[in-house]
Amino acid sequence: MERVKATTGRKRLTDLLDPEFMNRLDSLDVLSRKLLQGKLQGERRSKRRGQSVEFADHRPYVVGDDLRFVDWNIYGRLEQLFLKLFIEEQDLTVHVMADASASMSLGEPSKELFIKKLAAALGYVSLVNNNRVTLSMFADGVVGQLANMRGRNYLHQMADFLLTSQCDGLSQFESSCRQIAGARIGAGVMIVLSDFLFKEGYDAALRRLIGRQYDLYIIQVLSPQELSPDFGGDLKLIDIEDADAAEVTVSAALVKYYKRNLTAYCNELKDFCTRRGAVYALANSADSVESLVLNYLRRIRLLR
Amino acid sequence: MQFLTPLTALVAAAVALPLLLLLYFLKLKRRELIVSSTLLWKRAVQDLQVNAPFQRLRNNILLLLQLLMLLALLLALAAPILSLMSGRARRHVLLIDHSASMSATDVEPSRLEEAKRQARIYVESLRDEGFLSFRGARDQTMVIAFDKHSKVMCNFTADKRQLIAAIDSIQAGDGDSYLGEAIMVAQAFTQAPDDEPANQGSQETVKLMLFSDGQIADLDQIIVNTDELMFQCIGQSGRNVGVTAMRARRSYENPDEVEVFATVANYDAEPVTTDVQLSVNDDVRAVKSVTIPATGKGKADSGGAGPQGAGKVAVNFSLSYAEAGVLTVRQLRGDSLASDDAAWAVLAPPKRLTVLLVTAGNKVLESALRACSLYKLDIMTPSEFDANVPGYPNGDGSGLGLEQCYDVVALDNHLPVRTPRCRYLVFGRPPNGIDVSVLQELENQAVVDWRPRHAVLKYVNLTNLFAQKCYKLDLPRDAELLAEFNESPALALVRRNGSVFLLAPFDVLDSTWPFEPSFVLFCYNAVSFLGMQAGQNEDANLLVGDPIVVDGLVSGQSALVDGPGFSRLQVSANSSGSVRFARTDRVGVYGIRAAEPAAGGTRLFAVNMLNDAESNIEPVRQIVASGVEVQAQAAAVGRANLPLWPFFVGFVLFLACLEWFVYNRKVRI
Repeated sequence: MERVKATTGRKRLTDLLDPEFMNRLDSLDVLSRKLLQGKLQGERRSKRRGQSVEFADHRPYVVGDDLRFVDWNIYGRLEQLFLKLFIEEQDLTVHVMADASASMSLGEPSKELFIKKLAAALGYVSLVNNNRVTLSMFADGVVGQLANMRGRNYLHQMADFLLTSQCDGLSQFESSCRQIAGARIGAGVMIVLSDFLFKEGYDAALRRLIGRQYDLYIIQVLSPQELSPDFGGDLKLIDIEDADAAEVTVSAALVKYYKRNLTAYCNELKDFCTRRGAVYALANSADSVESLVLNYLRRIRLLR
Repeated sequence: MQFLTPLTALVAAAVALPLLLLLYFLKLKRRELIVSSTLLWKRAVQDLQVNAPFQRLRNNILLLLQLLMLLALLLALAAPILSLMSGRARRHVLLIDHSASMSATDVEPSRLEEAKRQARIYVESLRDEGFLSFRGARDQTMVIAFDKHSKVMCNFTADKRQLIAAIDSIQAGDGDSYLGEAIMVAQAFTQAPDDEPANQGSQETVKLMLFSDGQIADLDQIIVNTDELMFQCIGQSGRNVGVTAMRARRSYENPDEVEVFATVANYDAEPVTTDVQLSVNDDVRAVKSVTIPATGKGKADSGGAGPQGAGKVAVNFSLSYAEAGVLTVRQLRGDSLASDDAAWAVLAPPKRLTVLLVTAGNKVLESALRACSLYKLDIMTPSEFDANVPGYPNGDGSGLGLEQCYDVVALDNHLPVRTPRCRYLVFGRPPNGIDVSVLQELENQAVVDWRPRHAVLKYVNLTNLFAQKCYKLDLPRDAELLAEFNESPALALVRRNGSVFLLAPFDVLDSTWPFEPSFVLFCYNAVSFLGMQAGQNEDANLLVGDPIVVDGLVSGQSALVDGPGFSRLQVSANSSGSVRFARTDRVGVYGIRAAEPAAGGTRLFAVNMLNDAESNIEPVRQIVASGVEVQAQAAAVGRANLPLWPFFVGFVLFLACLEWFVYNRKVRI
């Protein structure tokens, strides 16, 4: 959390999302494939039977039940006491985990800005729909978090948080996931935004998230240079995070192998997610966030 | 295909190939680039560089191209040639004419240089024993340069570099062109036992390759198998104007007056007008404009028409000059042969001679000597001479040596007790102590041969000379024989101890000579020659190739010679005090002086070409040797082999382009 710098001037949400885009986001809501139990009564159906106007079922009366929910019409016909059960509508917890390691600062256009815009859009949609939103930035752990936001009032705070956070440091995805899973804020939609180029792997980390009650969405953001390298010749490639060097002669053949490896890596991640009920999406930082949010995320039913 | 320098290529290959492979494994200086993660790159590299380094090499087309390039370069370095000659090995003799006419510049830069160029091409075309060749065909070649004399520049060898160096070392000369000696030398070397086992000896055919302009003096005398003779005619034009004769002499009546006679010849088909200039010690004294008729129309005053009827004009100059000097006659019209554009004559100062006649009474000799317009003729009896030899302690005590008193001493049948340093004309028994011994007395001797071109015998006809009695002489080896009786020398020139003896080993009165006009001429020539009047002049005016002879030096004394193209060349006097310098192969003025400055001044010698045959530079495309016509080759010598290195270099360039293309294709994303 210490890496999130204090703002000297108020950052504005319009620095990330333009008003027209926000207008279009107003009509969207985060969709969970699961009926998850929330903490507060909200605008969303839950598994829980509770107080709402939507009928769910009947059950025989037992002593101690609230007599207000007895279906007197059935008692009139059958002379037996049945209790009316209603589907309780609860709020939805949306947790956005954004990668803030040094590797995100690279790319043209940068992955950092893309991820921040995407997080802002998802946060905006969640907040305007009165969902509970938690925004976490992670690198070698959770380096910044804005938890339990609800309602439009938090929009500027969210924008300020996103715009003031910096991408720096190593990425330790497993450690970060362990922290978040340990905090156990509650069930809900978990959206992880990262390039997922973790040398230690992503399996163990994602397992920590999948095992919980999260509806997990994985959005892998890569820069155009990572998707299709545009450099060649004899190079010494230096990892921005751990300064690991790889001396390569970037030839057409090597690029071909690189692309093949990248495709395999992405497919592995996708398969990993699919097998475990998570949704995977790949985004190019050169694409527009608007298009991704309005089209693709609706298509994968993260938004509606 | 053969390789001229295979060893060089092998050494270069031994160094370059491992170096290339080593360089391939060396690390490059790489450009640093920051990336998000090296994770996928490392995997890609691992995929690309699958296993062992040799797999990399096998799949690397760039390395393959570089290896090919290096191989082609190494092959080019080995100088491969494709031989277009066939048949068994042969022996070749290159006969290169470097006479005066080959200095003509009608062919750029000169005929000799063109001949050398063609000879070099011919040598380069010969078959060498290839390093990687299994054939034994190896041509042996010999190089002979010839003008008046022939010189073996290089004996039979297959070493082309040695042959080319020998060809390059041939210098231009101004001499005549005689092929006979060169042919004899070539035949002698061909038949000589050879120490190289590869050579097949005399049964092997020899090819004579003659590089000349065809102006060869002794073609009618050479004997050669014309099937073996290939003639390469060098030269294009025969246009030339040259001085073919020159003579300068002082007037008989007035020695201060000098008369210069010269003949200028035109070898062009058109008449030519040119200026002829006379200069004395490089000061121009007179210029005359003359028109020389075309070839075949002129007529010289003395020599008549040239060998091919060159047009000639005689030019005379007269001037008053009472000192020694060098006269130069030069025709000022530029032409392709410079050697014959000028002629030089060394003029001695006017001098009248003082002669001492030692005789018991010989009126014939006395009157002959008196007819020689001498300054003074003294007559002594033998006893007076022996008693009063000037300069000797027992003499008259005048203190002056005999040489200072008299220019010439004529001894008539007198055997002096001493012969002080002087010049002697000896009739009868020769003096003692000059290495000439008398073997016996002969009778009834007639002259059978004499040297009419010698200064002593100029215009002298000895046909009717008959001696009733004479001494048979045993002459030393360095004696100059001027005339011969049937059994004994008749006239001889001997140089000893700084003295010169002209020996006539018979009594004039015992011969028919006094009745002959030649006797007076002989006396005049002999006195002039010995008195260094006419003789010195004759000695000083030489033709190309004639040796310069200077007498009167101390044995072993050094002298310095200056000449055209060289200076201060040191020569030593022989035991008889004479210096001989034979390297007069270029026209011009030569100077010889004693190494010690106190020993005297410089004696000048004029060496002239004055050769009608060499001035006629018309190339002869058909020569007749051994009675058979030999036609010149239609074209210049061309290569009989094909150097392949340019193709290999071209291939290297192509591979370099291909490598660049492939590299860019591989690197381009």
